[in-house]
Amino acid sequence: MLDLMTVDSAGDLAPPAPATKEELLARVAHGDQSAFGELYDQIAPRVLGLVKRLLVDHAQSEEVTQEIFLEIWQSAARYEPTRGGASTWILTMAHRRAVDRIRSSQAGRDRDTKIGIRDLAVAYDHVAETVEVRIEHERVEKAMTRLTQLQRQAVSLAYYGGFSHSEVADMLHIPLGTVKTRLRDGLIRLRDELGVAS
Amino acid sequence: MSSRTEQHPADLAGAYALHALDADDTATFEAHLAESERARIEAAELNDTAVALGLAVAPVQPSAAVKANLMSLLASTPQLPPLPRVAGPDPADAAASAVATTAAPTTPGVLGTPPATAKGLSADAPSAVADIRSRNGAANSRHRSAPATERAQARWFQRPAQIMLAAAAAVALFVGGTFLGQTLNTNQFASQQASGLAQINAANDSQRAATTTADGQEATLVWSNKLGISAVLVDNLPVLPSDQDYQLWYINGEGAASAGTFDSSGDSTAWRVLDGTMHAGDQVGLTVEPSGGSDQPTTDPILAFQS
Repeated sequence: MLDLMTVDSAGDLAPPAPATKEELLARVAHGDQSAFGELYDQIAPRVLGLVKRLLVDHAQSEEVTQEIFLEIWQSAARYEPTRGGASTWILTMAHRRAVDRIRSSQAGRDRDTKIGIRDLAVAYDHVAETVEVRIEHERVEKAMTRLTQLQRQAVSLAYYGGFSHSEVADMLHIPLGTVKTRLRDGLIRLRDELGVAS
Repeated sequence: MSSRTEQHPADLAGAYALHALDADDTATFEAHLAESERARIEAAELNDTAVALGLAVAPVQPSAAVKANLMSLLASTPQLPPLPRVAGPDPADAAASAVATTAAPTTPGVLGTPPATAKGLSADAPSAVADIRSRNGAANSRHRSAPATERAQARWFQRPAQIMLAAAAAVALFVGGTFLGQTLNTNQFASQQASGLAQINAANDSQRAATTTADGQEATLVWSNKLGISAVLVDNLPVLPSDQDYQLWYINGEGAASAGTFDSSGDSTAWRVLDGTMHAGDQVGLTVEPSGGSDQPTTDPILAFQS
């Protein structure tokens, strides 16, 4: 039997089974820095992947990723497991922050709208690194095919491009009201296709 | 035809989940959320759907510096208390998951902040420092959830991550991310200092000058003439006996003016945003003075910068 006391003094390095993100967040809420490090290792690539998807620039994306994790540290006590998983909480925060950066920075405004148009190809140009991500890719890609073209374009521009609904309206040359309904109808369709329900 | 005014707020649910609304529409929709449980459930589901889109993006491994910087910042970054359970209208306040994660200040029903107020809050960037002060005061005294306290906390919450992070970025940039905040006595002072450093770093006229002390410690002055503030950062500045302090000075044709004291733990980076106003061309000096500081320098500077 392993005696816990024999564990290396930096013994938080390798617990036998990795803690769940929810457990880690609960520890982070109590100021546990090693839990924060572990949580970071688990999800930072996802956060940076998403942020970089929107911001494109790597250095700026890392900056925003730091912001996001500092916010996680600060507000971990406000995460409520009953309202959804830790990944949901964190990725929602990540997307929000990336969008904020786009809206607030000149760099964001300078992004060529072609980036957004290019994004209509929906981000599947990367080879997925893990089975988990690959499966998620395929699921989302398949669900996306169930949308009308206009729904798909509007949702992609807004989510992956970080464009506001009025920017989406300009880019697609459709009225703002139409964009709103396309975004909502599109997401509802995706929700049903992906089996998301609370 | 759909004009803006004819639209039902519920139509905004998709754009809201995708963070595609401007502040006005966000406020409109959150007011709607506050009134409708059905809307909250839909908002939570659409938020989860948006996250599924995010999970389909290929991960990108951050550089090691990101984690190193973050870990070095934790000790000096205050954590927020849990949101108080204010007579929650219904526990299935599911939509708040989307809201609370990102824009806590505007969460209706949770913070008791009317949307109109929330909108005003998000617009008052210049009061960031004041917000930090009020926030820290509230946190330290741990009052139960008076709405005003909650709003103050919410206001603080909205900005400091950016401020602290900008400060982190600044320190990392100048001295390699070894910020430990060891010279800072209170959260409030730390926040003011961090905010000052962030402002300098963010200023479009930000400048820097580097030098070394006689003993070879590397020192950096960063400043913005436009803002009239500066900060000094020194690596491995030796610990002083308890009856002495380091003291900073602005020096110009009119003489030397004290710009604050600090101490150093000796084994990391000591830094301080200077008190008072910097004028273009001022010299910045650092001396060792009796504890508490002196009116005028009493020793030869161990550092001097020409801005």
